[in-house]
Amino acid sequence: MLTAAIAICKKDLLMVFTHGAGLAQALLLGLLLVFLFSLSLNAGDRLSPQAAAAMFWLASAFCQVLVFNMLYAAEEAEKARLGLLMLPAPVQSVWLGKAAAGMVILAAAQCVFIPAVFVFLGQKMGEFWTLSLAGILIGDLGMAASGSLLGALSVGQSGRESLLSIVLFPLLTPLLLSVVKLASFGLEADPMLENALRWIGLAVAFDSIFLGAGLVLFPFVYNGED
Amino acid sequence: MAAQQPLLEFQDVAKTYGQRIIFRHVNAALFSGSITLLAGDNGSGKSTLMRLAAGLTSPDMGRVSRRVPLARTGYMAHATFLYPGLEARENLLFWAKASGIAEPAKKVTEVLEITGLSRSAFEKAGVFSRGMAQRLNLARLLLSDPLLILLDEPATGLDVSSRTMLEEVVCSARKRGAAVLWISHNIKEDSRHADRLLVLNSHTLGEEELPSC
Repeated sequence: MLTAAIAICKKDLLMVFTHGAGLAQALLLGLLLVFLFSLSLNAGDRLSPQAAAAMFWLASAFCQVLVFNMLYAAEEAEKARLGLLMLPAPVQSVWLGKAAAGMVILAAAQCVFIPAVFVFLGQKMGEFWTLSLAGILIGDLGMAASGSLLGALSVGQSGRESLLSIVLFPLLTPLLLSVVKLASFGLEADPMLENALRWIGLAVAFDSIFLGAGLVLFPFVYNGED
Repeated sequence: MAAQQPLLEFQDVAKTYGQRIIFRHVNAALFSGSITLLAGDNGSGKSTLMRLAAGLTSPDMGRVSRRVPLARTGYMAHATFLYPGLEARENLLFWAKASGIAEPAKKVTEVLEITGLSRSAFEKAGVFSRGMAQRLNLARLLLSDPLLILLDEPATGLDVSSRTMLEEVVCSARKRGAAVLWISHNIKEDSRHADRLLVLNSHTLGEEELPSC
């Protein structure tokens, strides 16, 4: 399973980073979102850390939808999906490979969004930036697990992007709530850290549910039927 | 001596799409070292039967028994399973690695040579003509030295030399013991190398005489 998953992940990363498939669109949308929101601020104003964190994760969530749509759409152009289903490996290796590739791409996009949040939304790094970093790691894992599962669900649907958004965003709510809170801890000068562990717990629970759901449900949503 | 077990067997198979019956009571067996042509009108269910053979869909009734591991089953469908954004060699390396083939780079070089694509190895698959893409598709199929070969109109878009190469590849696969199921719309030409002709007609599968040359 791991051999196939690694091959799928490497192939997707090769297509995105070497051959430039689709990443620019996701980056531009996220940056545009941050930039447009910055226009609501007067010169010298600073957005509240929680609002800035929400913008960062909103940009990441839009990026997630585009990335996973792109990763699964690539398998449909010449029906490579059928070839993937015939690999001598469990079909979950596709989910795992796509999730890993999606997570790397999302993290790469966030490397662009983070400076944008500091520059356009007037944020400063706080003392507890490690909490934000932990939030990004846990958040990206959850987004990758859920995005890979639900991306497969929208394969072959004519309104693929809208279907994924409609299904994904409500489900992401608990994860977004917790990672936004964790990100804001890293941007505040004097954050109230009492509930930090609870927010981390909520994000980890979300990740666990979607990692389990991906392994169990993926064969039902990704198959050879058209 | 025990009778030879078929590599692929359809036992009273039926398939429907909603209310529409595609075929029913389909019985057939494919043995090692044989080439079987599958013919039928458009919409008769040839490709569906192929997908059943490949394990990509399940029958509504009956059983499809494949006595070949998935790793040694090669399926060439209408679509090429290629990634247009990747080079020909990158495409093949991906499929080789994902299939767990030992020494993937060496195998890829070998199949590129067999299919006459060595000089186009570093060109993107997206710029290939239909015939070249079909050659690359054939190269992908050959990566696993398949024992069960499922070809859905493989000659589509192939010129004379490519067609000859395809026939050579299929005949050499038969020699090493592979069972080949070949969907054909050109029975007269394709039957030169075939052992049997199966025809899907009126929702059922029957065997017919191969046309004489």
